Amino acid sequence: MTFKYIAGIFLIIGFSNFHLQSQTPAKGTLKISGQVEKQIVLTAEQVSKMKHVTAVLTDRGGKNVNYRGVSLQDLLGLAGVSTGSALRGENLAKYLIVKCADNYEVLFSLAEIDSSFTDRVIILADTTGGNPLPVDKGPFRLIVPGEKKPARSAYQVREFVVKFAK
Amino acid sequence: MARSSVAIGVIILLVILMSLLSYLPAPGYEIKYPSYFGDRIFIPADNPTTEAGVKLGRMLFYETSLSKSNTISCATCHQQQLSFTDGKKFSTGVDGTMQKRNTMSLANLLWVRNFFWDGRAAGLEEQAKTPLTDPHEMGQSLQISAKKLRKKQAYPSLFKKAFNSDTIKEAMIVKALAQFQRTLVSAESRYDKYLRGEYKPTVSELNGIALFYAAPDPIKGMRGADCAHCHGGPKTYTELFQNNGLDSIPSDRGRELFTGNDFDRGRFRVATLRNIALTAPYMHDGRFNTLEEVVDHYNEHVSNNILTSPFLRNRSNELNGKQLGLTNNEKKDILAFLHMLTDSSFISNKNFSNPFSK
Repeated sequence: MTFKYIAGIFLIIGFSNFHLQSQTPAKGTLKISGQVEKQIVLTAEQVSKMKHVTAVLTDRGGKNVNYRGVSLQDLLGLAGVSTGSALRGENLAKYLIVKCADNYEVLFSLAEIDSSFTDRVIILADTTGGNPLPVDKGPFRLIVPGEKKPARSAYQVREFVVKFAK
Repeated sequence: MARSSVAIGVIILLVILMSLLSYLPAPGYEIKYPSYFGDRIFIPADNPTTEAGVKLGRMLFYETSLSKSNTISCATCHQQQLSFTDGKKFSTGVDGTMQKRNTMSLANLLWVRNFFWDGRAAGLEEQAKTPLTDPHEMGQSLQISAKKLRKKQAYPSLFKKAFNSDTIKEAMIVKALAQFQRTLVSAESRYDKYLRGEYKPTVSELNGIALFYAAPDPIKGMRGADCAHCHGGPKTYTELFQNNGLDSIPSDRGRELFTGNDFDRGRFRVATLRNIALTAPYMHDGRFNTLEEVVDHYNEHVSNNILTSPFLRNRSNELNGKQLGLTNNEKKDILAFLHMLTDSSFISNKNFSNPFSK
């Protein structure tokens, strides 16, 4: 009886601890490198102070979830990546590789990200529902609205690398 | 008079040609692999694969004088008949110490960029330095290894042919080993034969293949194990580092020890499944003795904590299920598929065997 009671307390402590842990904002930085004018490294705090917009992602259950973050075009602009009117000619043969903490990589052509080509705004999200992203998905998650699969809405984004197709 | 000067001229020309030939690069070695493995291969620009380099690398791989005790070679722990593993939980080094992690199999390394369980070595050349020089592995500096090889009759000319150098340098040892290991391609399993239309799988194998690739979706009634989410396509390898939920508190912090990032705690390489039936025991710490135990882990025992890969948590064949929830028959089907990945020609390929044994 006493044992069960003590075990129960430990279970409650265990669960509340787990809950706290999952709400702790993940640490980490974002690096932008490759074919850029200047390589930059941004902290989560620096990203949080940039202009934020909302993007919607449909989760696995079919529910629409709002995420807040910085537009990918704005972030690339900070590093001097060719965007807008400069995204023409051979610059259209450039691509972006998004690298994640587990080594997962996904690719975009620069034109897919650019407001002079598309109305879709891809963001690097750092909050959802007013909370930082959980440790296993944050501090940064890419949100790519309007895609049938969430495979490019990658978790734990660590680096953007811009390259020329060879 | 005229005839003799022509002869002298021809001799001089021949001498010039011969000396020029010795400066030509060694003939390249073509590593063959199926198109479905893809061309995302990694060969450093300063270490192209050559016939002479691969031949030398194979000898070095089996060379016991590269160890402090002259008793062990790379092949002691990487035995061909076990897809270059040794069947042990932890291999033993020259000083009798056990390794901290399970010996990894060597197959299809041409597609690997970062080596070891934690990905800390960028390239095979870099990787080779650790087992050669670590005091708890082969325990001998590259400097001493080069010195010992210089004194052996066969090696100076082999290094000359491979690297066109009159002296055996330290870097050449790891370069030759890397070249040989890049040729270890396994692509003749029953699964490869099936992909080429040369083998008709059993019903169980076919269902295993389907489950391996499919993600579970109980709402749509789709059964799946989604192994391919991390293990990828026909190569059964994608370079990912995941925490696969072995423990709620990992005793080995894995990739975190290399990156310093707490989110990498308990993350290890997603291993190739090629020849997996030959490479027991399993996981970075060799905790599972059989493939059955491995499948049981992913099906029933994944630790549901924040460090575990989100792709292994709450993914179930049952509505609102916490674990994968495959039936016993489905588990058997997955195992049947895993056994299809055994490549008997890889483990008997004479190009990979001990060149010193007759």
